[in-house]
Amino acid sequence: MLLEQLINGLTLGSIYAIVALGYTLVFGVLGIINMAHGEIFMFGAFMGVVVTHTLQLPLALAFLVAIAVTAMLGLFLELIALRPLRGKKGVSHLAPLISTIGVSIFLENLAHHFFGAGNRPFNTSFSQLSIQIGSVTIYAVQLVIFAIAILLMISLSFWLSKTKAGKALRACAENLEAASLLGVNTKKMIMLTVIIASVIGGIAGVLVGMAFNSVTPQMGLSMGLKGLAIIILGGMGSVRGAMVGGLILGLSETMIVVFGESGYRDAIAFIAIIIILLVRPQGLFGQPVTEARR
Amino acid sequence: MGNVFKGLLAVIAVFTLALMSACGGNSETSGEQSDGSGDGTVDVKVGVISWLTGAGAGYGEAITNGFELANTEIKEEGKVNIELITEDSAGKQEQALSSAQKLMNSENVSMILGPTLSTEMKVVAPEADLNGVPIMGTSTTASGIPQIGDYVFRNSIPESLAIPAAVSSAVEKYDAKKVAILYGNDDVFTKSGYDTMKKVAEEQGLEVLTTETFQKGQADYNAQLTKIKDTKPDLILCSALYNEGAVIMDQARKMGIDVPFVGGNGFNSPEVIKIAGDAANGLIVATPWFGGSEDEKVQTFVDKYKEEYGNEPDQFAAQAYDALYILADAIERAGSDDRDAIRDALAETEGFEGVLGEMSFDEEGDIVMEPTVLTIKDGKFQPFE
Amino acid sequence: MLAELINPYYLQVLSFILINIILGISIYITLSTGQLSLGHAGFMGIGAYTSAIVTINYDLPLIVGILLGAIVAGLTGILIGLPTLRLQGVYLAIATLGFGEVVRVLFINWEGMTQGAVGISSIPHIGRELVTGLRDTGFTADMIGIRSNQLISVLVFLILLVVTILLISFFVRQHRSRVGRAFAAIKMDESAAEAMGINITYYKVLAFAQGALVAGFAGALYAHITAYISPSDFSYHRAVEILIFAVFGGSEVIAGPIFGAIFLTSMPELLRDVSEYRYMIYGVILVAMMAFRPQGLIDYNMIHKLKRLRKKKDQKTIDEKESKRHDIGS
Repeated sequence: MLLEQLINGLTLGSIYAIVALGYTLVFGVLGIINMAHGEIFMFGAFMGVVVTHTLQLPLALAFLVAIAVTAMLGLFLELIALRPLRGKKGVSHLAPLISTIGVSIFLENLAHHFFGAGNRPFNTSFSQLSIQIGSVTIYAVQLVIFAIAILLMISLSFWLSKTKAGKALRACAENLEAASLLGVNTKKMIMLTVIIASVIGGIAGVLVGMAFNSVTPQMGLSMGLKGLAIIILGGMGSVRGAMVGGLILGLSETMIVVFGESGYRDAIAFIAIIIILLVRPQGLFGQPVTEARR
Repeated sequence: MGNVFKGLLAVIAVFTLALMSACGGNSETSGEQSDGSGDGTVDVKVGVISWLTGAGAGYGEAITNGFELANTEIKEEGKVNIELITEDSAGKQEQALSSAQKLMNSENVSMILGPTLSTEMKVVAPEADLNGVPIMGTSTTASGIPQIGDYVFRNSIPESLAIPAAVSSAVEKYDAKKVAILYGNDDVFTKSGYDTMKKVAEEQGLEVLTTETFQKGQADYNAQLTKIKDTKPDLILCSALYNEGAVIMDQARKMGIDVPFVGGNGFNSPEVIKIAGDAANGLIVATPWFGGSEDEKVQTFVDKYKEEYGNEPDQFAAQAYDALYILADAIERAGSDDRDAIRDALAETEGFEGVLGEMSFDEEGDIVMEPTVLTIKDGKFQPFE
Repeated sequence: MLAELINPYYLQVLSFILINIILGISIYITLSTGQLSLGHAGFMGIGAYTSAIVTINYDLPLIVGILLGAIVAGLTGILIGLPTLRLQGVYLAIATLGFGEVVRVLFINWEGMTQGAVGISSIPHIGRELVTGLRDTGFTADMIGIRSNQLISVLVFLILLVVTILLISFFVRQHRSRVGRAFAAIKMDESAAEAMGINITYYKVLAFAQGALVAGFAGALYAHITAYISPSDFSYHRAVEILIFAVFGGSEVIAGPIFGAIFLTSMPELLRDVSEYRYMIYGVILVAMMAFRPQGLIDYNMIHKLKRLRKKKDQKTIDEKESKRHDIGS
């Protein structure tokens, strides 16, 4: 049983990690927290529902549609809620936070309007596939989720450290003005970042739908808050931190059910936020915060 | 800055005055009580508070549809003429209370139907009771509601009636001795359902192997279910709303848990089958409403409702439909739109035949009726035998 | 005459507006040192639960309960404020968000005290208690020709109005005092303020604790007006709603959040047709405000302009009088 629970924890943790990757990417480059990330994730999940259930089309298409739609949402987010605030005099550093909260409220209620408040089922035979090892059942979905999480992390790390675009992105993260002076098209880079982050969220959405068969307009909020907790735990802007933080949270949420009080399951993430901020504000893998960054 | 402060005071004062004078115009109707018009019909204003916008708008819509359908029929009969005045509460206590005040004081209604949620009822009912306005909930199932006061009624079957019926039928059939309980601990409805389940399990001498909780918005129930699976229960008592409940069943069946689930009132919805598909088979619920019943009254209601609104009525629509009939019956006996007369007549309701079956009120104003135990078999709700 | 003028419906709506004004003030104080808190729903909940529990379980008088609720929330504010204020900007916002959620989960799980998700009902109601109290002294609603539910609504409204005005006047005064100037300096530039010898930690914790205290106070009042509370009343959504009062109305001057609370609370009452889109509108408001007017609708400039306008008008009337006098004189 413990082994099964470990697998459960790893699956959940991988999903958390993928969601957190989106947060960490945006924070790493722009230094802002995108509170609408959870809702973009939710829209990705709903696209999966629309494709597999409403239109009865194959799962692969669901991923494509989710990627396309969340990329669009990312673009809108950047154009409407983030760009107008950038470089404006007298705008506090809290402005993007509030403005993305606005987007998140809007998207959540938009989903209510379009898809209704109820739970929408996913329709895919893929989620039934499983392998039996001894007394333990492992589902193909669980393996896929784990693999995608690892794959995303590795390719993101590689892309950031080895490719030209990735280097430009890191230059933006280091200092926006300097990067711009050195010939990096910062506008484009920022837009690219927000879109990639949103797409990662969309993929996570489809994966959650596949794994748990549960898609509601409210799922964005709870997943979004968990994602926030993870990047604080792992260190803001750190890809490795997002991954490790996600797995830690997934495993500890599962373990608290195994050993103790399932009622406090939701609180772990937030208690972790508070403790880590007090003890090690930069997170497990993060660099100490510099004054200029805030 | 002192000027700012004075200005503010002025603003508040003006604001207050404006609203005060606005209400002067609105309360013309106060004190006007008619004892029926000339032709023997009784004219009554009835307020409805329902959740019509936001997350739970679906419930409110079904409820108001039920009222309207019943009202058209009652109007045709011509004995009582009910004017329904509907207000939206958006599922919020503050807005429900404001709506109730509006209905009681501006519209001067004789009776209030609703609000939709038990949480709203707990705020609205004491105020209505204080003002001597009878209020009847049609969807409020939490414990302690009719006990708020003499003017508070409900025709929705409480969990304390539904759950024991479902549990004892299931225990009898499957000879169950050991159960696991799973419930949502952050929702009024599922939490009070759990309290009843715990009590019933104790009374029936069932061994509770483990008690697990989940929270709103959670998508992954695998951890709790794996733990439950390991304890090998004969039955799983699950207090969840149908949205979460359907997902729980889906994940449980995938995991290889094939024991029956016993649910509360909130678990009872055709949506469970839509969401969980085959995984929904084996759910046992007790409900006041069974749309598949052979009863003629039920079938005409279902047909009429479908014709009017295009979908099958659920228990909320059915409960609302019956509630208005119960009220009309009481008004007819009271013979006036006097609030106290209606309250007294309502309290005397006994053996009323509606689409839900035979209904009476006990001395506290709570419904007395026999719930039907249903199970999902072959992808549809069927009577449980 | 009086009986027809007093409509409990409008008084009810006004009472909720006043409570929201108090909540708006609470976030304004915290914001006035440049700190963003998403934990105000948590403080509000602490105030509400404390007051409800002590008045029900220990039979304490209402006023003691409400004050105790505010004080406990304020103390929690200090407790949370001291360590977390090392954090800045977004970190603080998220830490307070985490705090709010932990408080809610605690309310849900601490069943012995809070009755869990079912919530606490039959909390003593301010108005009803007062009317019963008055009846003992021989005063009833009939004596002034109104029904007793009208008297209840009037009393609740008047109490809230007085309390709100007192709070506003206190914070307007504070704004003009040494403390207010310190707050403003910290908001402008923390390092500069520190260099000028302002004890940053002290003032930041002070602002945070004051905000928590006022939010707890509003929560306690809320509990004794609705007579029922449950953990879901103090969720993340409530925190965002409180924040919107200040973001929309403006967080530079106290009139801002007051206006925001009045407008946004009465909006769904006035326009019930659009209430379906209420939250979508909230979302749009947040985005639009940040893009076009991050300081909120009402800011210093507006107040100044209004003042100047009034002065001009005064001047004009004086001039007119003068000229008239001249006319007569000539």
